[in-house]
Amino acid sequence: MMQVMSFLTAAALLIIGLWAVVYKDNLIKKVMGLTFITDAVNLTLITMGYNEGGIVPIRLPGTELVVFSEKAAFALPQALVLTNIVIGVATISLILGLCIKIHNEKKTLSSRRIWTDER
Amino acid sequence: MIEYVMMVAAIVIAFLSLVPKDLLKAVIIGTGIQGIALAFVYQRLLAPDVALTQAIIASTVMPVLFALVVYKTERYEK
Repeated sequence: MMQVMSFLTAAALLIIGLWAVVYKDNLIKKVMGLTFITDAVNLTLITMGYNEGGIVPIRLPGTELVVFSEKAAFALPQALVLTNIVIGVATISLILGLCIKIHNEKKTLSSRRIWTDER
Repeated sequence: MIEYVMMVAAIVIAFLSLVPKDLLKAVIIGTGIQGIALAFVYQRLLAPDVALTQAIIASTVMPVLFALVVYKTERYEK
């Protein structure tokens, strides 16, 4: 149940992000759509490793190894997503720097007006 | 129960953040509050380390970056 709802959340975030990237006019709102797509991918990967009724993948003292190995959530997607969040921040900051360069050059952030002279 | 509330909140806030013409408002709602809601979801999906990282990144680093760009360029969408 929780897994299905989580996948649906990721799908909705992906749709909203794609809509913002394609149809929104302002460049900063396009970049916000890119962050929503990143969040959707992260949420999908985390949900794949989820174990219904399980425990967190940290072995506390007193936990039997057999019980831990059959109840813990899968830890590999969590490590990948932890890397992906940090790389996402670096990528977004690069794109925002390019937005500042475009504004210095063209004096606008609207994607319609970048290649034309209308104000 | 809180995870379903936060999933719905993440979707609704992500949509509502694209509406306002004031870019500073849009940026703080869309990256800050939406990321915090997703951090709650990660915590309930048995990934506490990802939830900690997401909470820190989404609450401080991303809104400051976006607000800096809004300060350097223009605040109101025309």
